Amino acid sequence: MAAESMQDIKRRIKSVTSTEHITNAMKLVSAGKLRKAKAIFEKTNENSHYITHTIAEIFNSSQDIPQGYLLGNREIKTTCYIVVTSCRGLCGGFNSNILKEAQREIDADWEEPVIFAIGTKAKEYFEKRNYKIYDDYLAPPENISFLETREMSRPIIEMYNRGEIDEVVLIYTSFISSMEQEVRNVTLLPFEIERDPEIMRNAKPVEYEPSVEAVFNYLIPKYVEMMIYAAVVESATCEHAARRMAMENATDNAREMLDKLSLNYNRARQAAITDEIIEIVAGSEAQN
Amino acid sequence: MANSVKLEIITPSKLFYRGDVELVIVTTLEGDEGFMAGHSWACKLLDIGELWIQEAGAAPDDFRVAALAGGFIDVKDSIIIYTDAVEWSSDIDMERVLSEKAKAEDWLVQHESHADPNDVMKAKIAISKSAIRSSVAEGGHRHKR
Repeated sequence: MAAESMQDIKRRIKSVTSTEHITNAMKLVSAGKLRKAKAIFEKTNENSHYITHTIAEIFNSSQDIPQGYLLGNREIKTTCYIVVTSCRGLCGGFNSNILKEAQREIDADWEEPVIFAIGTKAKEYFEKRNYKIYDDYLAPPENISFLETREMSRPIIEMYNRGEIDEVVLIYTSFISSMEQEVRNVTLLPFEIERDPEIMRNAKPVEYEPSVEAVFNYLIPKYVEMMIYAAVVESATCEHAARRMAMENATDNAREMLDKLSLNYNRARQAAITDEIIEIVAGSEAQN
Repeated sequence: MANSVKLEIITPSKLFYRGDVELVIVTTLEGDEGFMAGHSWACKLLDIGELWIQEAGAAPDDFRVAALAGGFIDVKDSIIIYTDAVEWSSDIDMERVLSEKAKAEDWLVQHESHADPNDVMKAKIAISKSAIRSSVAEGGHRHKR
């Protein structure tokens, strides 16, 4: 019994060791990618928040926004969900958290949703459940460029303007720290304006050129583009953070298992040696 | 010394410029326009064009020039310019600009009659961007005069 289980344990140690090597390597790779993504994210975050904030401020302080983009302008029937996931697995609960949240939002909605999937995981999930996927973007999100998000958001805005969709909701993972990420959903369109009395009071007449409408027709798509771009960059950062965490846990578990296994192995070996000694002693005693 | 105003130029990926300026000239959809401190509040769309900045304390004809790929300008107590892309004249890679321009022009010659209007628009925008960049790289149209 002992010899066989020694073989078994040895084989298991070997396989766990190689798993540990892999997860450890993946952890290091994700840590490196996380560092890079975080640098981009922090730079983008600062600027995009600045842009979206200022655009929101212009909206809030202006009375001249075209009504089409405001909340309460039309009944909300069809909602477009932009779901940002990753293209690769092995990142813990990252994708399932987003998809769970998206599914909850969609279930709460009576009408058939229009889904815009970013990342293969969202696409696979909704395809399997027979949802209509309007469009997808499947390249790895960490090297998305602003130009590409612009291409992506254009059809969404056109659909909104044509009245095919009445609401645009963005579901993504927001980065709190390397240890903590949170799924967030944001309604991009229509706009909800908080009429801040202070801003109203300060407002001076503003010159719009070429016309109010032209300015807002430019700004609103820009706002949507910026939000999507920022969300994709943020989600890429979260993906690496989540993967790093998952791989760290996997590596820790593998090491724990190795400790236990090598203890068992040593015990089995010792037992085998003891057996042999007993046999030898018994043999020599029999000769005497 | 004239009054100066705070100017910030922001692109989606970075803060391109932040500083006090006396005068900033941009190309709006209606034509070139200069903004100085105390300008009435405005919010204007920008065309693809040149950006001229006179920094606070600079000599009257000392401008920094950049190529701007459209965007908008928000003039309040400070001036903020948002753009998709902007490049200082010294950073422009002339070879790349010329090859891009030639590529877009070739494409247009071959495809203009039967291509998707969106793509034709894109090619035309690419050409005008290259034209502005090459003009900026040579010091801008004001210098050539």
